[in-house]
Amino acid sequence: MRGASQGGAPGRATRYRAEMMLDAPQSVPVTPLLSMTGLHKWFGGVHALCNARMVLEKPGVVHALMGQNGSGKSTILNVLSGQLKPDEGTIALDGQQVTFHSPPAALAHGISMVSQETALAEELSVAENVLLGRRLVRGRFGIDWGATRDRARAVLEQVGVDYDPSCPVRALRPDQKQMVEIARALSTNVRILVLDEPTSSLNEEETRSLFAVIRRLKERGVSVIYVSHRLPEIFEIADEMTVLRDGVTVAEGPKERFTARSLVEAMVGAEKEVVDRRVGTTDAETATVLEIRGLTARGALENVDLDVREGEILGLAGLVGSGRRELLEVIYGLRHFEAGTITQSGQAVQREGPRAAIKRGIGFVPADRKTEGVILPMPVRDNLTMPATYDRQRLRNPRSRKIEDAAAAISKLLSIKADLRAPVATLSGGNQQKVVLGKWLIRTPKLLLLDEPTRGVDVAAKAEIHRHLRDIAAQGITMLVSSSEYDELYQICDRILVLFRGRVVAALPREEATESRLAALAGGASEHEIRATRKAE
Amino acid sequence: MKQALSNAWSSTRPFRPVLAVVIILFALFAVWQPGFRTGLNIQNILGSVSVLFVVSMGMTFVLISGGFDLSAGAIAALCGVFLGKMIEGNIMPAAVAVVLTVLFGAVLGGAANGLFVGVFRLSVFVVTLASMTALTGVVLIWTQTMSIYITSPLILNIGVAHIAGLQAPIYIMVAVFAIFLIAQSRTYFGRDIFATGGSYTAARLSGVRTERTIIMVYAVSGACAGLAGVIAVGRVGAATPQVDAGLALQAVAAVLLGGTLLTGGSGSVVGTALGVLFIGILQNGLNLVGVESSWQYVVTGIILLISVMGSRAGGRRRGSKSSTASDCAVPTPSVALGTPSLGAPSEDTNAG
Repeated sequence: MRGASQGGAPGRATRYRAEMMLDAPQSVPVTPLLSMTGLHKWFGGVHALCNARMVLEKPGVVHALMGQNGSGKSTILNVLSGQLKPDEGTIALDGQQVTFHSPPAALAHGISMVSQETALAEELSVAENVLLGRRLVRGRFGIDWGATRDRARAVLEQVGVDYDPSCPVRALRPDQKQMVEIARALSTNVRILVLDEPTSSLNEEETRSLFAVIRRLKERGVSVIYVSHRLPEIFEIADEMTVLRDGVTVAEGPKERFTARSLVEAMVGAEKEVVDRRVGTTDAETATVLEIRGLTARGALENVDLDVREGEILGLAGLVGSGRRELLEVIYGLRHFEAGTITQSGQAVQREGPRAAIKRGIGFVPADRKTEGVILPMPVRDNLTMPATYDRQRLRNPRSRKIEDAAAAISKLLSIKADLRAPVATLSGGNQQKVVLGKWLIRTPKLLLLDEPTRGVDVAAKAEIHRHLRDIAAQGITMLVSSSEYDELYQICDRILVLFRGRVVAALPREEATESRLAALAGGASEHEIRATRKAE
Repeated sequence: MKQALSNAWSSTRPFRPVLAVVIILFALFAVWQPGFRTGLNIQNILGSVSVLFVVSMGMTFVLISGGFDLSAGAIAALCGVFLGKMIEGNIMPAAVAVVLTVLFGAVLGGAANGLFVGVFRLSVFVVTLASMTALTGVVLIWTQTMSIYITSPLILNIGVAHIAGLQAPIYIMVAVFAIFLIAQSRTYFGRDIFATGGSYTAARLSGVRTERTIIMVYAVSGACAGLAGVIAVGRVGAATPQVDAGLALQAVAAVLLGGTLLTGGSGSVVGTALGVLFIGILQNGLNLVGVESSWQYVVTGIILLISVMGSRAGGRRRGSKSSTASDCAVPTPSVALGTPSLGAPSEDTNAG
């Protein structure tokens, strides 16, 4: 089931380039079903696709598209589905060059995309959604609903499900909605179906039934482009792969050529020189700030144990849906938990909401800066002082000299480049993020929860924020950092927990946390497996 | 000093259009019709907009908090009836009755609107439409569709008396304006309103009591409607069973004219005051030059559209910085916190 190592996997990503040449079209007699070659796409100064390619040789294959966040996966898929125009490069279907100006144009060529968020009309029935955008069957008195339902039922049967066509879509579970989307794609005579992280919100059993559908589609000659970060899934369902890194296709070929380890190395690249890593270990003698035992929250976390000591930076690694975000929400009092205990500095904690958390000295830097982190139309000053003044009398004057000076001091400390009276909306992403961080520092917190602390900020601001986080930890403030960027975690954290499907699957001290190891563990490869492939070399 | 002046000037940006329109309109009518700029006429203008002015102040806070209040007219009418019943039934001394009426308005607004919008998170439109409808019914039932004539000198004086040469409603307007200006810029309550309207989630995560803030905002709006009801009773000399359903919408128009955004999070009672003034001047001026007064609605509507379009274009210029191309280059999945996203699935992605 898993990719068998063929006499030792190649260790360097660069060697895949040689393999790539073997699969070049001229060495294959038949014209490939889909060939995207020489793709370039710029967003402003960012080179999102840089001579990327992806080739599907024949109908009826499952092609895995792999790559880390920001590797260009979404860009290449958006080009394929007609949502983006490439700046350079060609797309050919059956050897015929094509250009898609819009999603309907791609759809007309049999290319259909099922994205992460379902794009269904929630209030309409299953039948209407399956046949959405097509002409419904008309009878003498307008739409013939009986015939419409029969047609939808026939399409659903092809997927192998028997949902009631008259049921509204909002009543379905997420996995059922996904099936409706796949059925909709089938109703348009799809040839290439793109599934973008289809399993991120599905449980084990639902994943099984999705795979059964994918296999049925394969038999019907439909090719599937499958995007996922979960390695075991890839090795189970995919026939061939394309690996992108920084907008370049760094490896491609049949599944048998890859092992979990070689795949991760291709995605991550050569281990980067650690230039800016945190130094100074936390003393094991310091007090435990947060202790979590057996924490279980339905659908998000299972039996999570966790200890953080004063002044420690604990990293949380994991894919979207692994539970790292939910763990922070539980600690901050935003989410219910069914079982387990949370103890902060010796005191048991219940779910009491943000104000109680703030009172206990907890600060929270959420992932979505623009809707959860800052209040865009408000001045920088008011954004900074908000948590610090949460318990003031509501009729008192917020323009007191003392609090304004505190805001100015924090702004100077974090070198926020902005007029304190200007709305936060006018600041750059990096400066906005510094505001989100700074607002918790006015009253020195005991524990700081950070979710994606540098998402969407430029490289310089990122390094600056990392430096600030290390400085803050040096003052004895404890931190939990959840991040999808592995290099960020190993640069700033003392210890890293890896979560997979709501469970803690590994706890790595700083010395042992490499980017590729984190990526493999987060993708569901077990410690045992990683060791085994390492020995085999 | 120079810095302070430039700050003061830059803070007027959202209501510069309405300021300009008010000045132009005033100049136009002053030249056209000499009777317009007499002290008496200006007092007439202010007196005639006093009810609208007080309602609009409360409405400004509601809009800044990201809401809307259709029920202000119904609350004002019901408070008028409440006042009339108390005074003419000799239940309360008039002064106490006035205070109780304002409190009654606050309780109505806070309970009928604030609770359902803030705590149960129902749609603002539905909640205030429902309370407007229901309260209109209560007014009709309670009055038996009969006007209650007021004889209390205090109440009548609130409407029409002159103190030191100025109409009494003008003093009320100035006092209400001062209170709102201070609440808006010099209290944590005011800051919480801006925060809640700017981003409900971000405000909540930063420790703002968002639910309580919303309840308070509707209570304040209700209190304003109550006070407006008192003034209206004083000016007419009776508590009438007629509910002015257009009052709330006219107040919203005045608030929007003043540069407050319907999306919440920004705005100012200063702009609203100018918006109300605009409506008053237009009404009065058209009357004086002999144009049928119904034209004021046409003109108000057009000016409202133009000013909102203008402020949106300005907003786009200033806000364009926030989404740069590099944001699209690194697509990162984001999961909505707690509440699922309510974004309607767009039709065009499905069109085959």
